[in-house]
Amino acid sequence: MFVMGIDIGSGTSKGVILKDGKPVAYHLLPSGVNYKAVSEKLREEILAKAGLSPADIADTIATGQGAGNVAFSSHDVPDILSCARGVASVFPSVRTIIDVQRTFTQVIRLNATGQVINFIINEKCATGSGCFLDIISHVLQIDLKDAGPLSLGSDNPVVFTTGCAVFGESEAISRVSEGASREDILAGVHQALASKISTLIDRVGLEMDCAMSGGGALNVGLVDSVEKKLGFRLLAPGQPQFINAIGAALMAESEA
Amino acid sequence: MTKVVIVNGDGRTLSALMGPTGAEHRRLANKVMTDALARAELTFDEISYVVATGYGRINVPFADRQITELTCHAKGIASLFPGVRTAIDIGGQDAKGLKIKNGKLVDFVMNDRCAAGTGRFLDVLVGTLGLRIDELGEISLQATQRLPISNVCTVFAQMEIMAWLSQGTPLPDIVAGLHDAIANRVVKMVKKLKIEPEVVFTGGVAKNIGVVRALQDHLGLSVSVPPEPLLTGALGAALMGREMALKALAEGKPIHEKELRLTEATFFKTEQDGS
Repeated sequence: MFVMGIDIGSGTSKGVILKDGKPVAYHLLPSGVNYKAVSEKLREEILAKAGLSPADIADTIATGQGAGNVAFSSHDVPDILSCARGVASVFPSVRTIIDVQRTFTQVIRLNATGQVINFIINEKCATGSGCFLDIISHVLQIDLKDAGPLSLGSDNPVVFTTGCAVFGESEAISRVSEGASREDILAGVHQALASKISTLIDRVGLEMDCAMSGGGALNVGLVDSVEKKLGFRLLAPGQPQFINAIGAALMAESEA
Repeated sequence: MTKVVIVNGDGRTLSALMGPTGAEHRRLANKVMTDALARAELTFDEISYVVATGYGRINVPFADRQITELTCHAKGIASLFPGVRTAIDIGGQDAKGLKIKNGKLVDFVMNDRCAAGTGRFLDVLVGTLGLRIDELGEISLQATQRLPISNVCTVFAQMEIMAWLSQGTPLPDIVAGLHDAIANRVVKMVKKLKIEPEVVFTGGVAKNIGVVRALQDHLGLSVSVPPEPLLTGALGAALMGREMALKALAEGKPIHEKELRLTEATFFKTEQDGS
């Protein structure tokens, strides 16, 4: 039996097809602003990758910020739940998840049976999310995927005096003009994000094990900063940006 | 922007103008001063007292004294509107609420930590809309509704605007939504002071008629805007300088504590030299 999970995120849209619980195809597209159009394209392309037709899919569940725009899903689930399901399927011992997305960062607490018992979302400010890194990468004219490896070469991280991504952009520009290296600025951004994440964890309560998921978990510099701030190693699923789509697909499989 | 106001012994404005502050110009306050002197047909030696204010007040080597912008704003605003009790200043980097009694600052609130609720919010989003900052006010007057837009984060508001644009939403409705968001945010902050009329609105954003109207709606009060809403700080500084010079004269003391020359700031050069 084939099932599909679709995650329309604020930055990218992800699709996963599972066969008997195992992924057979992954696909990712930039979300853009038309969530309905991107969901149709995502379905078309992932079905082509898997060599399947729409009729082969027993059920599809959508998740993420744009889930309501997915016309071909049987229903949609909040990404808190799809994330918890996805991470717990990889790491059953996880009780705390840090999900770093483009717009939002959320911390989710699970109980021993993998149910969500608490969560917190930084919905008031972009500073704690991937946005801040996006903005600074643009200032430094680097590709977002290079931000992590570059930052590991820093020996003197810049300390941002502002908690605002927009003012942080100006600060980064003036630090560049004063001669600060790209490495030091990126390391400073990662430290600022790590502080924000640490605050979220304090508010929701930490229980081990702790995992990081979402696109942010692909950034080795961010993972390193968060681990140093928290003082322990994080578990990281192999495909962190697809975890919510996998979780949605697993829910579809349970229901089908 | 760097602003210079020159007043005479009666407190009457002889010259008032603005020049860019920018990264390249911030040590060139003397250039704006030179232009202001030329307009008043005065030389620097004829100026009795110079007060510098604002974020860059330390970069004015030819000032007798530095005074915070809050004090100067209150002074300048009260000179134009003697009945002022509450002033709202929205600039490019911050927003402030001032409580003023008998022309003096008695309390204030300020946001310089988050770009939402400052002029920077409009600066960033005007780019997303492909408009100019000086046309926002007029455009917003054509709106048929004020769209709901995030007032908590500029980055989130930018994403919302892109979604509105992709749906073909009329620009005036989006712009009116932006004005509503900034007014809502600032009024929430200023309400921590007990808002009493007369309310005066200053800073660069006060030139935007759309924000003026949105502020009035959120306050439920009418709002006065000076003809040059960017110059109230410099005007207040000039008036403070006038009082200090007159006081020194009355007491028979020398006006200047140090000799001043109209030069550019060396602050940045020293920093670059590492000396």
